[in-house]
Amino acid sequence: MRLRPPKKLWAPKAGNPPDEYEDASKVVYPHRLAPGGDVARAAVADGASESAFAKSWAKILADAFVENPLDLSNLNAPALTDWLAPCQKQWNDAVPWQRLPWHGEAKARNGAMATLLGVTFHEKQNRRRLIWQAIAVGDCCLFIVNDGRLTLSWPLGHSAQFNNNPLLICSNPANNQGLWPRTSQISGECRPGDVIILTSDALAQWILQEREAGRQPWQTLTHLKPGQEWADWLQSRRAGRAIRNDDATILIIEVQ
Amino acid sequence: MPYTADISRTNPACFLFLIDQSGSMTSPLAGQPGQLKKDQAAQALNRVLDEISLRCSRGMDVRDYFHIGIIGYKTDYTGTAAIASLLDATTPQQPFLPISQVVELAEIEERQAKESDGAGGLVEVTRRFPVWVQPTAEYGTPMCQTLDLASRAIQDWIAQNPDSFPPIVINISDGMPTDGDPVISAQRITDLQTSDGNALIFNIHLSNINAIPCQYPGSVSEVPQGDEYAPMMFRMSSILPESSRRQAASLDLPVNENSRGYVFNANMESLVQFLDIGTRAASNLH
Repeated sequence: MRLRPPKKLWAPKAGNPPDEYEDASKVVYPHRLAPGGDVARAAVADGASESAFAKSWAKILADAFVENPLDLSNLNAPALTDWLAPCQKQWNDAVPWQRLPWHGEAKARNGAMATLLGVTFHEKQNRRRLIWQAIAVGDCCLFIVNDGRLTLSWPLGHSAQFNNNPLLICSNPANNQGLWPRTSQISGECRPGDVIILTSDALAQWILQEREAGRQPWQTLTHLKPGQEWADWLQSRRAGRAIRNDDATILIIEVQ
Repeated sequence: MPYTADISRTNPACFLFLIDQSGSMTSPLAGQPGQLKKDQAAQALNRVLDEISLRCSRGMDVRDYFHIGIIGYKTDYTGTAAIASLLDATTPQQPFLPISQVVELAEIEERQAKESDGAGGLVEVTRRFPVWVQPTAEYGTPMCQTLDLASRAIQDWIAQNPDSFPPIVINISDGMPTDGDPVISAQRITDLQTSDGNALIFNIHLSNINAIPCQYPGSVSEVPQGDEYAPMMFRMSSILPESSRRQAASLDLPVNENSRGYVFNANMESLVQFLDIGTRAASNLH
């Protein structure tokens, strides 16, 4: 079993320039599959648009998830806190504290906020078995489709569950006191033909709305080509209010 | 559904603040020794503006999700209305500035504040506080004339922003108009509309009657007794739109489908959170 090269589609909120895109995503595949170790990691993070320096916080979290592995097999509250500490320091060091205007100082003191979805894939000793493990805080979603059927929608399972107050990870440790009990974890085994989809919230909500209407939105997403075709498709869905006008990010990984 | 317009830099919303600067505002505020109503009025306005600024701040810059106007009202000693726009380079007829410019107009005061040290103790720190309006109060209360001026300014704003979230007028006063029944004038404002709904008027009522503070009541019977102007201020206030009620409920504020934008001797900073401008920075993790 192997993972095909990922497809990544992204776009800022309509009307915003690309440098205001505050989602982040990252995927790494090692050169060869190593039994017992991670074979791949993927993450999507969504910076809360109302917090300061959310773009850099989302990027720090997504990058850290794939570059500085979090052991999802033995995760607990102290381990999560320890893993976040260098991320928080990196964010703090990047804030130009001395140059901040009064409003920016108050805002940055609260910290930046972001949601995070991370997935790791690793082989069992039996090389035919590929296991995935995932962690989520907030409303970025993981979908798994096989043979045209949605077999997983996680951590949210219905389009009505999305709102403007998702659970968030903060760059200020003082604001993460209730983080661990609200961190979701799940794992499963990949099957040949699985299509694994990671999305930020606006596209996740659309996927669920379409599915609730009896359609198969993953067919569209897997066939969409990056570039103009993706841009045109997204623009028309946003114009028709089918997809909320928000930063949009999707990673699609196919298992062969 | 009304009151669901996307609030963005291309489709901003607006707040028009009306602050009572009449002589009656020099009387003490109930329940807060040493505090005068005019002090509380200035403080309430500065706090709401601070809250709006913070919501729009991205750290280094401020995004123009809102246009802001501030109108102060009183009379001169002859009883002639003295209605002034309090932001630089604006007039009562054209009172609005984008929030990024409003932020620049704040005078910054450094104050000592006690904050948590993260280890169960308190530590004294110096914080910067923005001030736009200083307390002042004299003579009469031309509330009706002010509301009429405000309705014309709102009308012009709507002409330029026909599809925006409807304008919100926030009146900060102890009631006691000296020029008629403001309920009629308030109605002229709430009759105006964008494609997303009718303009809204909310009231921050400051009173020297010692009663339990009250936020967003749903009926006049919930309004504290004893202040003869409270029922009038309540009636002037708009019912909170459903979208705002949902946000208010998520902030654990006691609202129902009849709740009005009226507070009695209470703050209204939470009002700023009633509007959606994106994923909230306020984590509900704590």
